[in-house]
Amino acid sequence: MTSALVSKAERAYIQASLQATPPLRGDGRGLLDFRTVFLETGVAPLANGSARLNIGKMAHEGGGGTEILAATKLEVEDVETGDGVDGGRIVCSVSCSPSAYSHLSSNALDELQYDLTVILQQTIAHPSLHPQNLTIIPRKKSWLLNLDVLILADSGNVVDAVFMAARAALWDTKVPRTRAVEYHAPEEIQTMRDSAGAMDIDQREAIPQASGFDTREMVRTAADFELPDYWDEGEVLNGRERWPLCVTLNLLPPTHFLDATLSEEASVPSRMHLAFSFGKPNASKLQSMRLSGPGELDLSQIKAYIADGEKYACDLFNALEAKLRDEDARRNVKARNKFALR
Amino acid sequence: MISFASFPSTSEASASYAQARHPPEVEEELGMDLDEDDFDEGVQRLTVPGEPITSSHAFMRGHGTFVDNEEVIASVAGTVERVNKLITVRAVRSRYNPEVGDLVVGRITEVQPRRWKVDANSRQDAVLMLSSVNLPGGVQRRKLESDELQMRTFFEEGDLLVAEVQAFFSDGAMSLHTRSLRYGKLRNGQLVSVPPILIRRLKSHFVALPCGVDLILGLNGYIWVSKHVKESEQEGEEGFDAEAVYSNRNDVIDDATRIAISRVSNIIKVLAAHFVPLTDTVLLEAYEWVVDQESHVKDLLHDEFGEHLVASLGVGIRQ
Repeated sequence: MTSALVSKAERAYIQASLQATPPLRGDGRGLLDFRTVFLETGVAPLANGSARLNIGKMAHEGGGGTEILAATKLEVEDVETGDGVDGGRIVCSVSCSPSAYSHLSSNALDELQYDLTVILQQTIAHPSLHPQNLTIIPRKKSWLLNLDVLILADSGNVVDAVFMAARAALWDTKVPRTRAVEYHAPEEIQTMRDSAGAMDIDQREAIPQASGFDTREMVRTAADFELPDYWDEGEVLNGRERWPLCVTLNLLPPTHFLDATLSEEASVPSRMHLAFSFGKPNASKLQSMRLSGPGELDLSQIKAYIADGEKYACDLFNALEAKLRDEDARRNVKARNKFALR
Repeated sequence: MISFASFPSTSEASASYAQARHPPEVEEELGMDLDEDDFDEGVQRLTVPGEPITSSHAFMRGHGTFVDNEEVIASVAGTVERVNKLITVRAVRSRYNPEVGDLVVGRITEVQPRRWKVDANSRQDAVLMLSSVNLPGGVQRRKLESDELQMRTFFEEGDLLVAEVQAFFSDGAMSLHTRSLRYGKLRNGQLVSVPPILIRRLKSHFVALPCGVDLILGLNGYIWVSKHVKESEQEGEEGFDAEAVYSNRNDVIDDATRIAISRVSNIIKVLAAHFVPLTDTVLLEAYEWVVDQESHVKDLLHDEFGEHLVASLGVGIRQ
């Protein structure tokens, strides 16, 4: 996407090392090895869900690595006035810190941000992944889920890192519990019902004549909502296992490799970004695919790459899933300790 | 193969580092008020940003400090230095501060009329004039218009080179030169970047390790790790062969050398992550230790292995 500068000699050295038998990478990793990924969820106290991710720094090093911060924030939208969509919607944005791309001009930086935003938005906001619980009051109010990803430093493999961080933040997102509130205006309803024959469309027609304790139909008439006081922050997003993950295959025929560093990225002709979603166990879906770079590919090759990519994505998914569950456990323990200390 | 980890916890660190520890001689100094005597030679005082150093009546503020409430206060973390009445703080982590005569490794970022712009990890890009490189056809030759037209055949964007700081321009940018047979374009290896403060000044910054790897320790924190070239086979020994000096093609490098290059690069990264100053002896000792362990190259990326490596150097670092 953005190629850091490498000299011809460096590029030739990297390519020759990768194509040697056995292949060797600059830092001794195997072709399919990732660098260590550092992940922490719940880093932004004011967000509904957040995650910080770093690929490739040394544990005690001050800087280094690809550093990503992702956070989600829920906002109430009015469906009736037209800015909201019934059922809620998701808006993603990716911003790049200028310090991460000091060699880029501001225009080039904007283009890069736009490019990454489009990839993320098209994949995450796809209807097949839409969570069911973003509705507050049907046809009246819904949640707008803002997913903001900030790239603080780039040392290669940004797209995978962005997707991993986005998945962790969405996994961590808690939707506040809401309770519908109805305004009682019995007389008005009465008069309405009297003149029901004259009015063509009126939702309130459906108001039950049954007992006042029956609140099942209340949502239909509900005009507003309130946030009940509850011990936790809310419930998790519906179907959070489905959020996709991306693997980037760096293609250097005849081989390909994962998790490229900046100089490796600059020395391969093309890349393939594959986003997979694992809704049910052993059932993966290819959510998006993108080929970047000047190279061309045969259809048969693409099939092989997708099959390989699915395998890598599955490993990545399992590892990330385990880490996210660990993080949940860790934060529960932390919260309990904090409570005990009080 | 992917492994996830948690960020090193800050609470753990703050428990063990809750109290600052110092060598005994510094500990004694700490409790005292600062007088002129405190800036004696030999005692290195460390600051954190925002820490009051001394009164602004008695001293002048220099780089890395500011004055507030009649006190000179450090604005960076580093060591306090004093020249007569001038107090400066030399930052631990900063960009490279060039000095004339320093050996640097840089990367061409731009080709301009009669000059190249070079990224040398400094605050500004360095400048390499066409008149300060070796031109084909002999060292003592006037530069011609044809040389100006084919500057990209010497260096083009992205090329790495080793050079020496020749002078400074009025705006503080450094001017480089490659007018020596040892300087010029780099090939047959890879670049590792570390904080510039970790590079010690050595007798020679061209280091040849016995494993067939050459190192160029640029004082700007860029380190070039490459295949060993025998003294007698270095380009330009007899006469000056422009083809070879400005070549972009690598020599044939065997797998063992490639593995050694990767291993040395990883050792440098590990040492830099643990903030160990790099010298030829430290690197040699570390390399021998790693080879003794008969480890795979990628083992070095593991946290524990790196810690063992640094611990094994314990003696060598202090010497």
